[in-house]
Amino acid sequence: MRMSYTRQLLVERSDVSKVAIGVLVAIMLFGLFASGFDQGHLFSLVEGKEAFDNKWLHEFVHDMRHASGFPCH
Amino acid sequence: MRTLPFLLVTVVSGAIAGTILGLINLGVVEPFIDKAIELEIQNDIQAGQTVNMNEITDYRTWQKGGEIVGGLVYGISLSSLFGIVFAYSRKSLPGNNAKLKAIFLASIMCLVLFIVPALKYPSNPPAVGDPSTIYYRQSLFVAFLVISGLSVLGVAVLVKKLNQTVRKKMVIACATYGAIVIVSYIVMPSNPDKISISMNLIETFRVVSAGTIVMFWGVLGLIFGTLWHRFDPHNFEKITVF
Repeated sequence: MRMSYTRQLLVERSDVSKVAIGVLVAIMLFGLFASGFDQGHLFSLVEGKEAFDNKWLHEFVHDMRHASGFPCH
Repeated sequence: MRTLPFLLVTVVSGAIAGTILGLINLGVVEPFIDKAIELEIQNDIQAGQTVNMNEITDYRTWQKGGEIVGGLVYGISLSSLFGIVFAYSRKSLPGNNAKLKAIFLASIMCLVLFIVPALKYPSNPPAVGDPSTIYYRQSLFVAFLVISGLSVLGVAVLVKKLNQTVRKKMVIACATYGAIVIVSYIVMPSNPDKISISMNLIETFRVVSAGTIVMFWGVLGLIFGTLWHRFDPHNFEKITVF
């Protein structure tokens, strides 16, 4: 009589997902610009030139910007 | 590599570490920022400027409210970079598990992306910084950050190709990176803004805020490594063999 059996193998997949890298690069660039460098640029897309005077986003992340070493003011 | 677990591990670890950073900053860094703003207001009053205290109170509420959200955004953006570097360098990192590897990488990235740039362009509290030089200062900061980051990347790629012992490779890598950083430190212009408040306040602010950022990198490495170990994004696809 012939015996049959099954077994499960675990295969490592070392290729890094290109989609994930693209998403993470986008998050990193947007997040670093918003938290460390924006001087009204992002809100100016909606608010126009006034955004550079109001600097809502800049002021919102102001204290974190100073605390994490980014140049401010 | 499984895309969704990789993304989730990366983003969630950054979100947690960044939120913790924001909460801790509210307690330990905010008092120095308050003090610096108080000095800035006094300087403005002495210079004959009109100061609207209600407006300043509103601003401070808005700014303090953003500390945690700012930490969250900062955390996720840096963990995104961390995740990419970890995914590509995982097999070359020392340590026999994901937690040790992540903590080691976090230490290196903290050194390269925070400590080294901060030696040339240290953090400053409010009341230091001329608005008219902001873009110039940002350019200097980014340039030093990029030099430091790309140097490490370049050195790591080159050293990996050398046919030497691990010890020799480490020595060559550290010496090359150190030389690049020292030359950049000497050649790059200094922060052009003059300091008009107490150096004691500035130095204490720098030490305390640097401490919280170092803590952030440690927490990020620990959480990332723990989640990576738990969800194994790189590992393993089950296949059934008959």
